[in-house]
Amino acid sequence: MAYNRTYNRSGDSNRNKGKFKKTYHRRKVCKFCADTSLNIDYKDIKIIRYFTTERGKITPSRISGNCAKHQRMLAIAINRARNIALLPFTTSIIK
Amino acid sequence: MRYYETLYIINPDLPEDGYREVVTKFTDLVEKNKGVVTKVDEWGIKTLAYAVKKFKRGSYVLLQYCGEPGITAELKRELSLDDRLLKYQTIKLSDNADPEALKAEGDEGKEEVEETAETAEETSAENEGENGI
Repeated sequence: MAYNRTYNRSGDSNRNKGKFKKTYHRRKVCKFCADTSLNIDYKDIKIIRYFTTERGKITPSRISGNCAKHQRMLAIAINRARNIALLPFTTSIIK
Repeated sequence: MRYYETLYIINPDLPEDGYREVVTKFTDLVEKNKGVVTKVDEWGIKTLAYAVKKFKRGSYVLLQYCGEPGITAELKRELSLDDRLLKYQTIKLSDNADPEALKAEGDEGKEEVEETAETAEETSAENEGENGI
């Protein structure tokens, strides 16, 4: 029973956290859907680099706000750019 | 015909003659294999995102061409055997491409330059400036 109680308590706190976040929730729009002139191309590093972290990881769509279709295309483009040494796999090798 | 694109990195320490040799070698190779070269874009020497064969810099060359599916296998063999290259990557841009239409796009640009022969000197000077950048 004691375990159950603790479980419930943590559950409540999670729910409260969720509510707290919801108040600050801002609606995100996919950049590539909003601006159709933007093309996802592995050679165009300026656009692609915007969607990577400082460490060179791909930012998740829940943070960048991309739609699933464009996130998929982006992931392919980033991997291609990494393969031809336009983008790093990880940082801190050259510096 | 299929439309392909190959991006390859040449050793930055090569002299001008050696560099030209590599670029012409691969454009000729595409034409030998019944392909049509639509675009050769030389990006110049850029810093690599990570060291490749202990090189931190490399000169990028973009080659776009049309050809039958076998052409990439031929090109890949030559690319992998050449010591002067650091890296290469081939990508299919489209399945059904009309090489004449793609070539015509490039030719139109050239014709425009020819038509404006009087201002040709000015435009060429501008182009040189752009290439310099």
